[in-house]
Amino acid sequence: MKKIIIIFVGLLSLMTTSCVQKTFKKTIVFMVDVSAVKNIKKVGIRGNKPFDWNYDNKMKVVKKDSLYTITKTFETGYKFVEVKFTVNGEFEFKEQDNRKVYFSEKDTTVVKFVFNKR
Amino acid sequence: MKLLKQITKPINMPFWWQDLIISIPRIVCGYLLATSFGADKFGLPWSPVDKNLGLFEVAFWFPNDVAEYGGIFAMFPVFFAWMGAFAEAVGGILLAVGFQTRIASFLIVCTMLVAIFMQQINNGMWNCLPAMGFLWVALFSMITGSGRFGIDYLISKKY
Repeated sequence: MKKIIIIFVGLLSLMTTSCVQKTFKKTIVFMVDVSAVKNIKKVGIRGNKPFDWNYDNKMKVVKKDSLYTITKTFETGYKFVEVKFTVNGEFEFKEQDNRKVYFSEKDTTVVKFVFNKR
Repeated sequence: MKLLKQITKPINMPFWWQDLIISIPRIVCGYLLATSFGADKFGLPWSPVDKNLGLFEVAFWFPNDVAEYGGIFAMFPVFFAWMGAFAEAVGGILLAVGFQTRIASFLIVCTMLVAIFMQQINNGMWNCLPAMGFLWVALFSMITGSGRFGIDYLISKKY
């Protein structure tokens, strides 16, 4: 009986270890144009992993009060990531759908958006 | 075989309409588990295409989440993640159609206890409610089986 249990647990473990969704290393570059917004103190991005919906990932300045960017490299099994940009901690598209950004077939995806515009 | 028969045979209510009413939460919970909660993290034919899940694959992030529970979950994260996702997705189907209802209910009870006490308890009672809802229904079904409105009833009538 003991042997059967050991074999069963072993087989089950073996079976389940090969049943995890495959992941890929992806790099995504977000750029956002915030030139239409005034009094910019900070620009951020929130979203699903590797981002977070509860706090900003601060975006770097490319051109002050105009263009900001962030680059993330991460492992994912999904084909897309959902995000929203923030200015001074305020979300764009309040009460509206998130931006859904699909990864390109290549390792790196570069996308550019205008704040609060589709 | 005798044990399997005992596990399969449902406890029926005195009247068919009582079984019908009792089957509603079982069918609704099974449907929701299979089509929404489970299908989001376990590959089934109706899993969202965007999730990129192969058949019977568990979502890549779920074993990492399970490992964070610590203890035995950190030792076998893939096993527990797969079993949890399987219990929700496939267990949900079995619960809805009333096939091997007690086995499916047992798997769902275990999964919901883990969801409540290892995942949601620190997020407040409100966040525990979905898992608690499924837990109560699965606990009840684990005792009664499918009732008259399930495949188990048809099988147990045959043998």
